[in-house]
Amino acid sequence: MTERSSAVRIGPVVFDNPVFLASGPAGYGLEYADLIDLTRLGAVVTKTITLQPRPGNTGRRLWETRGGLLNSVGLENVGAEIFLTEKLPSLIDGDVRLIVSIAAEGWEEFRQLLEMVAARPEIEAVEINLSCPNVERGGMEIGADPGRIEHYVKHAKDVLGERAVLAKLTPNVRDVARLALAAEGAGADGITAINTVVGMEMDAESGRPIFEMVRAGLSGPAILPIALVAVWKISRTVDIPIVGVGGISSIEDATKFFRAGASAIQIGTAIFYDHGLPERIIEAFEHSGIPKPFEKKDG
Amino acid sequence: MSARAKGSFLVSVLRNDPLTPSSSILVLDRPEGFPDAQPGQFISVRLTDTLEPLLRRPYSIMDLTADTLSLLVKVIGRGSALLASQKPGASLDVIGPLGGTSFPYPASGKVVFVAGGTGLAPFIFAARSWRSGDARPEIHLLYGAEAKDELFLELIAGEFTGAHLATIDGSEGYCGDVVRLCEKLLAKGELPVDHLYSCGPRGMVRALVRQVGSRFAEHLTSLEAIMACGVGACRGCTVPVWEGERMVNKAVCSDGTVFAANAVAWEEWKE
Ligand SMILES: Cc1cc2nc3c(=O)[nH]c(=O)nc-3n(C[C@H](O)[C@H](O)[C@H](O)COP(=O)(O)OP(=O)(O)OC[C@H]3O[C@@H](n4cnc5c(N)ncnc54)[C@H](O)[C@@H]3O)c2cc1C
Ligand SMILES: Cc1cc2nc3c(=O)[nH]c(=O)nc-3n(C[C@H](O)[C@H](O)[C@H](O)COP(=O)(O)O)c2cc1C
Ligand code: FES
Repeated sequence: MTERSSAVRIGPVVFDNPVFLASGPAGYGLEYADLIDLTRLGAVVTKTITLQPRPGNTGRRLWETRGGLLNSVGLENVGAEIFLTEKLPSLIDGDVRLIVSIAAEGWEEFRQLLEMVAARPEIEAVEINLSCPNVERGGMEIGADPGRIEHYVKHAKDVLGERAVLAKLTPNVRDVARLALAAEGAGADGITAINTVVGMEMDAESGRPIFEMVRAGLSGPAILPIALVAVWKISRTVDIPIVGVGGISSIEDATKFFRAGASAIQIGTAIFYDHGLPERIIEAFEHSGIPKPFEKKDG
Repeated sequence: MSARAKGSFLVSVLRNDPLTPSSSILVLDRPEGFPDAQPGQFISVRLTDTLEPLLRRPYSIMDLTADTLSLLVKVIGRGSALLASQKPGASLDVIGPLGGTSFPYPASGKVVFVAGGTGLAPFIFAARSWRSGDARPEIHLLYGAEAKDELFLELIAGEFTGAHLATIDGSEGYCGDVVRLCEKLLAKGELPVDHLYSCGPRGMVRALVRQVGSRFAEHLTSLEAIMACGVGACRGCTVPVWEGERMVNKAVCSDGTVFAANAVAWEEWKE
């Protein structure tokens, strides 16, 4: 197969270009269809789905910080059944390339969810959102434990066979590269880094935390350096492709991720204020080529 | 009630007319292709490309003519201050019209509007757009603010069948809140009780539901919430709403802004 110059391969799957929408901010993609030509994107990573629908968190869900956004949406989603019967067909019929994001709070749920996803041959790629709290382990993120990551990724690869499996990592750990290594060892086709950075906000006047769950996830320009160093460290540890995400707000920001070792990028928060950005990045790369990494990790 | 497709537009500022010390009316050039809209729908404005503030800010459509799109802007923080300082000739990046529901033309031909502060905006739009049709509804406006200099008096002149004002400090109209005023007028039998449409601070609408809601056959309210996407994607602006026995989270931006006020789970909707 001849691959276009801006095409990117992640395991068995080739995407036309390396610019994806991150999971969450763009929902199932369809909500943005009036504003973004979804077919131009390398892929849309859909909002993380869980086996059962989730109502998400109560109380305030958003707060703007300097250069960033805190969110406490709490993985609200329609659940696997509705996603597969209602959202997926419209996206596939619309010729949108998809990476389906999935998460589970425990092993049995993960197994069942994977079975449902695997039964749909039109799904060519899956991103495992490993930042989901693990109810079996007292709420610790599944993705903070290399052993769990290995277990989950290996099972996903076994079930999904020739489909691409990406492991999306949390930055809220001491050594993100170690997690990436665990995912690679288990057969992951790619690493997505990073999910939101844990943070909080206080109401100075009332003296209370503004989010009911106290902690929330920080995204947007404020976290770019954190995402960049994660990509840098991971790229010096594993050989599989890395999808960089976190704070990208310009063509220049996107370029930095490729320089740091990413093979593709995702845009999240920026689409809220600049939904034309993904397409501008795609055009820039089509024109000047995908930026080369700073150095070969063994060079 | 459903909206036509939304879009992304660059609009230029035609005028910026000061209204009160802290607010103004921004009259924008209606861009080519900007779809028709309904009262209760809004646009989302990008205020700067310096990323400070980061997010767009939502503003109700206060008027939409063949040539213009007007907003009522009250300064409460950094974003609104930037918007209120726009000069004629400036260009703004907006998406809209947003909102999946709106205030429908009142079936009985008679309606009571209760507005608090900038919650007046959708009702100016409603009054103006319904007036241009053949049928002209009877509209009773009850409108409240903290003090006289925060009432947008110029805006309401001549737009409504009757206008009743309330200020907390008593500097104009009824001394007290607009909910009390509504109770008083209802007691005197001065208001039609078919449709109540409200828009304003959460506390005002909640008090309306509790204190006078049951007196009206229908109470619709346009809600506000902090927003990020404005299009129903991010699930950041949700409000808990009763669907029979079940409480579900609805997005204010795309399932609203207009909801049946009695269906909102006010006790569960925390800030
Ligand atoms: C559907 C809708 C219609 C609105 N219509 C009008 C209108 O016609 N006229 C008018 O003056 N105001 C209107 N508002 C409110 C207006 O959006 C806020 O005043 C504005 O976003 C405040 O921005 P700021 O940067 O000045 O405030 P900030 O300094 O950021 O914060 C001050 C307060 O503003 C609110 N706020 C902040 N960010 C947002 C956000 N992204 N979305 C919503 N609220 C936010 C919060 O309650 C916050 O506590 C509307 C809001 C909504 C949701
Ligand atoms: C409102 C919101 C919802 C999100 N939901 C998800 C989600 O469901 N699954 C997931 O893996 N990441 C989710 N994320 C994280 C983003 O995919 C991304 O990793 C993070 O926001 C950093 O990228 P950004 O700075 O470009 O937004 C969400 C982010 C935001 C702001
Ligand atoms: S603001 Fe994103 S869903 Fe309403």
